[in-house]
Amino acid sequence: MKRLLFPLLLSLGLICSAAASPTPPEGILQLTPYAAPALTLSDIDGAPFSLPARPGQWVFVHFWASWCGPCRKEMPAIQRMVKILASEGLLVALINTAENEDTVFSFLAAHAPDIRALMDRDGLVTEQWQPRGLPATYLVGPDGRVYYQALGGRPWDEPTYLDFLRGLLKQTH
Amino acid sequence: MMNRLCIVLVLSLCLTCTGTLFAKPRTEVKTPELTVRLIERTPEQIAAFYEARGFSKQMVQVLKAQCFLGVLIKNTSPHVIWLDLAGWTFTDQTGAVPRLDRTYWRDKWQALQIPMAHQSTFRWTLLPEKLDFRPDEREGGNILLPRRGHPLRIEAVFMLDDGTQQKPVKIRFDDIRCPR
Repeated sequence: MKRLLFPLLLSLGLICSAAASPTPPEGILQLTPYAAPALTLSDIDGAPFSLPARPGQWVFVHFWASWCGPCRKEMPAIQRMVKILASEGLLVALINTAENEDTVFSFLAAHAPDIRALMDRDGLVTEQWQPRGLPATYLVGPDGRVYYQALGGRPWDEPTYLDFLRGLLKQTH
Repeated sequence: MMNRLCIVLVLSLCLTCTGTLFAKPRTEVKTPELTVRLIERTPEQIAAFYEARGFSKQMVQVLKAQCFLGVLIKNTSPHVIWLDLAGWTFTDQTGAVPRLDRTYWRDKWQALQIPMAHQSTFRWTLLPEKLDFRPDEREGGNILLPRRGHPLRIEAVFMLDDGTQQKPVKIRFDDIRCPR
């Protein structure tokens, strides 16, 4: 009887877990989870950051460059999203691809003054993540695996996206 | 009266000049599955963009000498569409024009000892070699060819994957020019 009960409970658990996954909004691809590539960088002030930052938390990993039009358009929405969700437990890693401090500082001062960027000075970390293009966003689960990828820039501060991210924060993998 | 004639004459000359320099700067092909837009970049546009990124004069001179075609692709179908640049052909009246791909540029920049950051930025401005365009996805980038001075024909093939089979989607651009 115990032998029968165990698979049954396991199946139920899997069904419940799948049902709890929030539905991704437009432009968010649900991936077959894979281990996040290495990410060890310093921010614009020299403070180090690496993944997994804090095990057990979702991380919003975003690659951008100031010369990229869609990145410029998207950044203010990211800043608004960060303001809303940072206190709810979302970790954010905004990685500038291959630009210098002056460029990044000027850009963020104009477009997202509250955001501190991580500096991928030679662009090699970005390439390890193999984005489809810039901007690129990945959502890394509490277990250090990549679960979602965004296609291009997204309106992250809109309710459907905020609700989706909140749904992830409530979920543990 | 004379003034008006002069203005019209000057305006016509300007338009003629503009027409020569920026002839047909954007060309768009639409099929039921996708939209592909081609933008012929001038050497001045190329120089302005890369100089603003801090690229060296040497690098900018090399880039200005090439034919830059900006390409914007949008998947308008409900299926995945594969881009594979290896299947595209570029021809002019002298024959096939070899595309200057990522391997060519990696070797070139390494030989010139270009900083890694600039190599990286340059790569991100290129059209991906391969990409599975998802429904409604839009991506773009540059294709670089040697500048030969003749009008180009570009034949592009994409593969539409509806989950059961792959179907080629072919498009063609004629009379593409590299503005000087």
